[in-house]
Amino acid sequence: MSERPSILHADLDAFYASVEQLLRPELRGRPIAVGGGVVLAASYEAKRFGVSSGMAGGRARELCPDLTFVKGRFSDYQRLGDEVMDILGAYTPAMQRISIDEAFLDVGGSRRLFGEPDAIARAIRARVRDEVGLPISIGAATTQHLAKIASQVAKPDGLVVVPPGGEREFLDPLPVGLVWGVGPATASRLAADGITTIGQLARSSRADLAPLVGGQVGSKLHALANNDDPRQVRSAGRGRSVGAQSALGRVIPTDQVLGEVLGHLADRVAARLRAARRAGRTVTVRVRFRGLRSVTRSLTLDEPVASTLTLREVAEQLARAALADHPDEREVTLLAISVSNLDDQPEVQLELPVARDDPHRQSSPTGAARLALDRSVDSVRERFGRTSVGYATPALSKRALVPDEFRELAEREVRPGQSAGRGEERDG
Amino acid sequence: MRIVATKKDLAAALASAGRIASAKATMPVLSMVRLTAAETGVELAATDMELSVRLPVEASVEESGSVLLPRVASDIVRSLADGPVTIEHRAGEGVATLSGGNSSFTLNCLQAADYPELPDVSSAESEVPAEEFLATAERVGKAASRDEMRPVLTGVLLRLAGTEAVMVATDSYRLAVDRAAVPDQGESVTEAIVPARALAELARLADGQGALRVALADNQASFALGDTRLTSRLIDGQFPDYNQLIPDEFDHDLVLDRAELLGVLGRIGILAQRGTPVRLAFETGTLTVSATQSELGEGSESIPVAFEGEAFEVGFNVEFLRAGVESLDGEEVRLGLISPLRPGLLRGEGDDYRYLLMPIRLNT
Repeated sequence: MSERPSILHADLDAFYASVEQLLRPELRGRPIAVGGGVVLAASYEAKRFGVSSGMAGGRARELCPDLTFVKGRFSDYQRLGDEVMDILGAYTPAMQRISIDEAFLDVGGSRRLFGEPDAIARAIRARVRDEVGLPISIGAATTQHLAKIASQVAKPDGLVVVPPGGEREFLDPLPVGLVWGVGPATASRLAADGITTIGQLARSSRADLAPLVGGQVGSKLHALANNDDPRQVRSAGRGRSVGAQSALGRVIPTDQVLGEVLGHLADRVAARLRAARRAGRTVTVRVRFRGLRSVTRSLTLDEPVASTLTLREVAEQLARAALADHPDEREVTLLAISVSNLDDQPEVQLELPVARDDPHRQSSPTGAARLALDRSVDSVRERFGRTSVGYATPALSKRALVPDEFRELAEREVRPGQSAGRGEERDG
Repeated sequence: MRIVATKKDLAAALASAGRIASAKATMPVLSMVRLTAAETGVELAATDMELSVRLPVEASVEESGSVLLPRVASDIVRSLADGPVTIEHRAGEGVATLSGGNSSFTLNCLQAADYPELPDVSSAESEVPAEEFLATAERVGKAASRDEMRPVLTGVLLRLAGTEAVMVATDSYRLAVDRAAVPDQGESVTEAIVPARALAELARLADGQGALRVALADNQASFALGDTRLTSRLIDGQFPDYNQLIPDEFDHDLVLDRAELLGVLGRIGILAQRGTPVRLAFETGTLTVSATQSELGEGSESIPVAFEGEAFEVGFNVEFLRAGVESLDGEEVRLGLISPLRPGLLRGEGDDYRYLLMPIRLNT
């Protein structure tokens, strides 16, 4: 842990809504929501009325009759998000982008170049405002968790520096809901036991927490409340995994469902790998059942995968194995695919058709053909849009409720499970 | 048993036999070399159950008998002073003595009776000119795979028919085909997949000797040069149909200067290591060879070539490409190409040798 508050969490304020207001001046100062049937993002003006993301459109209109709905402009979000990240990256190589609109930075090594962390935070905020035109809030602290809380406290459009030694004073009065991993359900369970502030959480014993939220989650929250967060900002802009997930409500995992959903996820993950000229050897699938119980299965292949069809086949195989091991679980609520063990997409030595043709190897005739097909699909999509062409099963499915572009922006990387290739967890 | 041989003869024979004896045998006797002394002469034998060799050693036999010597005997004899070397073993004893000059070694040995019987191939032998046959085998055999997971590809297809022996090898990335003249086989057509290693060992055993006697049986092949005989288990399986793999026509058939091309590949290839390809970019009248290694940098060199048509770029593994060019005879190289994802074909002047090479798919 650093002795100075050298970790920054930079988070764009109401990002999608802010972009809309930036690009359409007539929307500025007005309550707007991105989306339609569902609110995908709300401007601060709308949030004041209680509108929040994930809310049904009708409910949002009830709360805020003047609300203007706008359709998302996803390519603009990506472009502007990238521009902001470029600015952040100019201050330190130790930057870890965790979603389209937020990133952690460790600026401990940048003092000689750019000054103290609070000066760097001010410079970043000014540049993002001047050069991109968007408001960004920054928290500065000695740990990632604390920096993230600080940035939430700083919103909208602010800067909060937590001085070393002042952590307890800062954290204690804040609501537990700001702790990473405490959602509304957990917060209400804690509140039932009289725990509403982070200070109370920190002073409670792990034994008291276990019956409320489970032993593992309890330990994690307790540690975070005590500012015990050993995570380092993982430097280098390149992620260690690429993943996508799809929440399904509650569905019975028939072959049809697995084919559609995993086909769809595989398409997104593989396309992103190819766009980044990467490929990975470890495929991880997460299946979540009712009650947030989830299992992961992973498989490390002989050759890296970046082909949509191959990824889909491997993912289906893993998902079936996970389901077979849990015959009591009748419904799944989420499926996720991630590919890790990433490397640059190798330039593949092609093979003569002399041996068993293993489509999962990139060098085999069928494997090479799959990748060639994917590249053709990629280039057609680049010109004519991502829905212009696709694999039949997912493309003809009626399952997609949220525009893919939005999902892609919002996607977080899912991590492979335990190293043994199987893992079971309870989402916190 | 007691024999006396010159250090030179004995060292050479022990080295040849020692290469066949298995270094990592599960059965201890397979790591040994059998020495047999009879009134007719001295013979060394070794086997790893796949390959077996028997070779004569020039030596005087003072007492006949046989013994199994450890492979280290080869290293010992090689390091002795020039002059006579004596090997002695008393029947039934667990040691043999080996002496030369003022040196003397007592080596643990095993009994010859415990050695496996070496295969005997009784099929009819064809006599072929050794030099051309072995040169062809060596040239083709380099394209064979070393991947034991694909046994068929670790072999060389040997097809005896009419007046020629056709040999084919492929590791799936490249394929080499060549022919050697043989005495007329009449109506008989014989095909076998011979381990590439057997042919390579055979080439090392041969010493410019005149005739090679080849016998192919169901599961064994035998190659004899004088009294030296190598037998090899044949590889079971279906060899790829090489005629189908070699395209009939190429869109481009380019003639390049062999020495110039080798020079360019040698220079540019320095930056095309560890799986990164060397790129061959063709445009009207020019071939530009280039390579980029992200940590090191990039290099390129252009040479004139009679290329016409739409420009294109193809990538190859530089080692495979260079091995192909090196394996050709003559001053000119003909390179046949179709597209960046189809195989390229290298040919020399005036012979039937063909070297087919799959490209590396370029990312851009």
